[in-house]
Amino acid sequence: MAPAARSPWLDARQRFMRNRAALVSLLILALIALVCLVGPWLSPHAYDDTDWNQMGIGPTWDGWHLFGTDELGRDLLVRTLIGGRVSLTVGVLATLVSVSIGVAWGAVAGFVGGRVDAFMMRIVDILYAIPYLLIAIMMVTILGRDFYLVVLTISAFSWMDMARVVRGQTLSIKSKEYIEAARAIGVPTHRIIFSHVVPNLLGIVVIYTSITVPGVILTESVLSFLGLGVQEPMTSWGVLIHDGANVMESSPWMIWFPGAALTLTLYCANFLGDGMRDALDPKTR
Amino acid sequence: MKIAALFIALVVSQAALTTQALAAQVPKGIELAAKQELVRSNGPEPETLDPALAESVGANQITRDLFEGLTATTTSGQMVPGVAASWKQTNPTTWVFTLRKDAKFSNGEPITAEDFVYGWRRYLDPKTASPYATTLAPFILNGMDVAESKKPLNELGVKALAKDQLEVKTPFPVAFLLDLLSNTQFAPIHKAVIDKFGKDWTKPGNMVGNGAYVMKDWRVNSAVVLEKNTHYWDAKSVVLNKVSYLAIEDSNADVKMFQSGETDYVERLPPGSFEQFKKSNPADIKNGAMLGLRFYAFNNKDPLLKDVRVRKALSMVIDRDTLASKVTADGQIPAYGVIVKGVNGADVTAYDWAAWPMEKRVDEAKKLLVAAGVKPGTKINFTYNTDQYHKKMAIFAASEWKTKLGLETEMENMEFKVLMKKRHDGEFQIARHGWVADYNDATTFLTLVQCDSDANDNKNCNRNAEDLINQGNQALDPAKRKALLTSAAKLVMEDYPMIPLLQYTLPRLVRSNVGGYFESNPMDRFRSKDLYLIKR
Amino acid sequence: MWKYTLRRILATLPTLLTVITVCYLMLHMTPGGPFDSERKVSAAVLANLQAKYHLDLPLWQQYLYYLNNLLHGDLGASFRYADWSVNDLVAKALPVSLLIGGLSMLIAVFSGVLLGIWAALRQNSWVDHALMVFCNIGGSVPSFVIGPLLVTVFALWLQWLPSGGWNEGQWRFVVLPVTLLAVINLSTVGRVMRGSLIEVLSSNFILAARAKGLPMSTIVLRHALRPALIPVISVLGPLAISSITAAVVTETWFSLPGLGKLIVNGASNRDYTLVLGLVVLVTFVAVLFNLLVDLAYALLDPKIRY
Repeated sequence: MAPAARSPWLDARQRFMRNRAALVSLLILALIALVCLVGPWLSPHAYDDTDWNQMGIGPTWDGWHLFGTDELGRDLLVRTLIGGRVSLTVGVLATLVSVSIGVAWGAVAGFVGGRVDAFMMRIVDILYAIPYLLIAIMMVTILGRDFYLVVLTISAFSWMDMARVVRGQTLSIKSKEYIEAARAIGVPTHRIIFSHVVPNLLGIVVIYTSITVPGVILTESVLSFLGLGVQEPMTSWGVLIHDGANVMESSPWMIWFPGAALTLTLYCANFLGDGMRDALDPKTR
Repeated sequence: MKIAALFIALVVSQAALTTQALAAQVPKGIELAAKQELVRSNGPEPETLDPALAESVGANQITRDLFEGLTATTTSGQMVPGVAASWKQTNPTTWVFTLRKDAKFSNGEPITAEDFVYGWRRYLDPKTASPYATTLAPFILNGMDVAESKKPLNELGVKALAKDQLEVKTPFPVAFLLDLLSNTQFAPIHKAVIDKFGKDWTKPGNMVGNGAYVMKDWRVNSAVVLEKNTHYWDAKSVVLNKVSYLAIEDSNADVKMFQSGETDYVERLPPGSFEQFKKSNPADIKNGAMLGLRFYAFNNKDPLLKDVRVRKALSMVIDRDTLASKVTADGQIPAYGVIVKGVNGADVTAYDWAAWPMEKRVDEAKKLLVAAGVKPGTKINFTYNTDQYHKKMAIFAASEWKTKLGLETEMENMEFKVLMKKRHDGEFQIARHGWVADYNDATTFLTLVQCDSDANDNKNCNRNAEDLINQGNQALDPAKRKALLTSAAKLVMEDYPMIPLLQYTLPRLVRSNVGGYFESNPMDRFRSKDLYLIKR
Repeated sequence: MWKYTLRRILATLPTLLTVITVCYLMLHMTPGGPFDSERKVSAAVLANLQAKYHLDLPLWQQYLYYLNNLLHGDLGASFRYADWSVNDLVAKALPVSLLIGGLSMLIAVFSGVLLGIWAALRQNSWVDHALMVFCNIGGSVPSFVIGPLLVTVFALWLQWLPSGGWNEGQWRFVVLPVTLLAVINLSTVGRVMRGSLIEVLSSNFILAARAKGLPMSTIVLRHALRPALIPVISVLGPLAISSITAAVVTETWFSLPGLGKLIVNGASNRDYTLVLGLVVLVTFVAVLFNLLVDLAYALLDPKIRY
């Protein structure tokens, strides 16, 4: 009698649990997200409360400035949490958008091949060549400054890497036997792409997604620095770290706290990505 | 009678000047270092080293070493003769300069009055298209008309009377002409070099100047290296043999280069770091007031700001003392008028409420808003360009307006060019603005608030003040002129066309063994010929 | 294969034209012009400046004028840097970026591949995690933090290396910027290598090789590495391009006269010709690299055919 069929998702979950680093990362990320969401409501300070008498002081219990204050007397703890909200949201949204576009673009180009591939990849080449600063300035000045616009702008130049990677992988997969078989049976092309090629791309996509997330968050900080991202007094981790890097010697707490938050989050995202890739790998059954 | 008195006064004063020591004033007893080579930062890469086109501070800093005009400024801010050995004012609008006999270009050829004529015409020639042309052109006869292509070049008010005699005519009496002419835009240019090399004449190996230094190398975006000019008339008193100007954009990187010993001179400190470096480098820290003003422009045509009471209220409640001492914390001076301390030609003006305690000011401001019909909760829009310093000041201002007047400020941060365009086009409500003097006279600041001035983004106009300014420009007696310009400044500021905030200072790090650096240099004009390195 | 290469090279021209046209339009549509500054330029001076740089002609005429010059190899005059032509500026910045970018790429690829392989072979062990922590520094800590840290440690505390400057490419000035860029790129290469190799190691043909009794080193080097490198190669194209052109943070921090700074400053200054010139250069580089990558695919996977 054949053993009971195991659900592939159950398999994946078991494999995932075995990866301790990934597990711990998941928990930490969930914790960070929760704190960023709830924390600001619990803090006695608003994120834009300036206090001209307590400018640039280090962490202290006095006045409940556990992370210290920035050079305008604003509480760093609550700003780090608010910044976390912005960075995490931007990271997730922009990544979702760019991954969707990138995977679809690359898979179609790689699979269909020929002229279509050439055309689609030329568009990718073109987008690489255009300096992103230019696109960013244009988009902001024409479309206005909006949080979702920041997400859109970042997604607009983050999807190309994914597309190229996916295309490369697709080229490799396309010549495999099971694809030939599917074609022989008469499965329509779009079905082959989305039911057979894409699942086999999952591994590399997951990895590259977890490479994209930090990239997106960092891009957001560069944009804010250039005046194209979140507006004062709203802040993000990128902005906080950038400001902190400038005063690293005199006020180290300004970079340590947001820096630690960002690094921790990104490390966890990376490990989580690797863990998910390992877990979802269709070949290790 | 008045003219004669002026004439005598001028002859006497120029005689006094020539007897002054002109050398790099190394005090007695100072031992000089063996290697006299200075490496310093110069901010971002200069946009050009052609003196006619140079506009930025960094570019002019270098051209001041490569070229020399009729007069020059020392590091302590004093005006001294340059290529001109002496001069006299034959009438209020005509000056005759006599050139030194030993003045030469860096290729050994003597400098003649024709070279000045050529240089000035080239500077104002519409074909040269100098972005700085109309700033200094109004002070030379027909200068503006030439720059605007309304008159031909040869009608410019400069003429060679003899090989070593230059006549300069001005459209109205210009009291500060000598200071103006120390700008290298008015330097002599070697015509043959331009004819031969065209646009490439500023490249190393091609350039011929008449300053204390010649260009040895120009590595774009990296460094400009200058070496002593052996043909310079005062070469014997030039101590530094080599000066390297490094192109460093980021002020934090600038400081790191200083700390690691790569450079001996930081051009500008990162914002907010003054206190820190005052503690860590007490011997190297320098800070002097400069002729510059930080202010916020009002769009006087905006519906909310049309009422002068609203503008007055917004200006009154900002605590400039806290702004200077706590927020910016780098020794800047609170300003309550458009004229800054140290500028010639007018006195500093201030509002009478500047001396009131803050509570009184806030009360008065609130009353003004009520009278003007502006309720708490009204939104105001503030635009500024991306910069740590501007951001800090803006957040402070916004919080003052909020806590004291209950107004909500929407802060709009944008890229520099975008802000410039919006401000010049009047698409703003309140915008950040800053102004540095082009020459040491009050008119360079008054132009900010004059009617129909290109420099006036507020678009305000006070005809009475305008009249006073015109009268002042025609006045021959310096004391009378000062009084007129001061009254004009006070009058215009009563209209509250803008919010003056702080006077610029120059916090920098200059290694303690660099001699000849003075903090009292209001125009921030340094020539390397006045600096020297002391033995450590 | 050669026909494919030739076709790709020919396809460069329409790509180039499209890029130039798009950038050209975008530049002119962006608010703010090259001559906008704190001091409002008077109408007369503006007219002079526009005449000098042909900005007073209708847009389409300027466009054709530019293309014409381009065909003759002349990238035009820079608006901001009055003394240099765009050809000069690009020619001076290119070697700097090539040196820094090229060196850092080599180091990143070499170490990334090695570390990735090692981690993949010890999957889920503490060695794997430790290696990945190291690799991920570049992907988790922003470059504008690593940069100052490197400078503070090596230039200020230890005083081993200068904190910035270029000095014609003397090796002392090259070490820190290359380290910074290499660390950043290392994270991508390492992770992709690890993930890809793990995937390949679990495929059937590898199982077969193991069943045959081949030693692990042979399996990895001769059989698994080639297909595993495909995603890594895919990543190299964009990485190489960004090392050269997007290294603006590194260049600003270390005051290097490279292309990244030139592009960003050009855009900020609305220096149309400089930006377009750089865009032309980047397009060539991008097309070249992508072509090399695509050819490498064919080498690595015999089933990929063009």
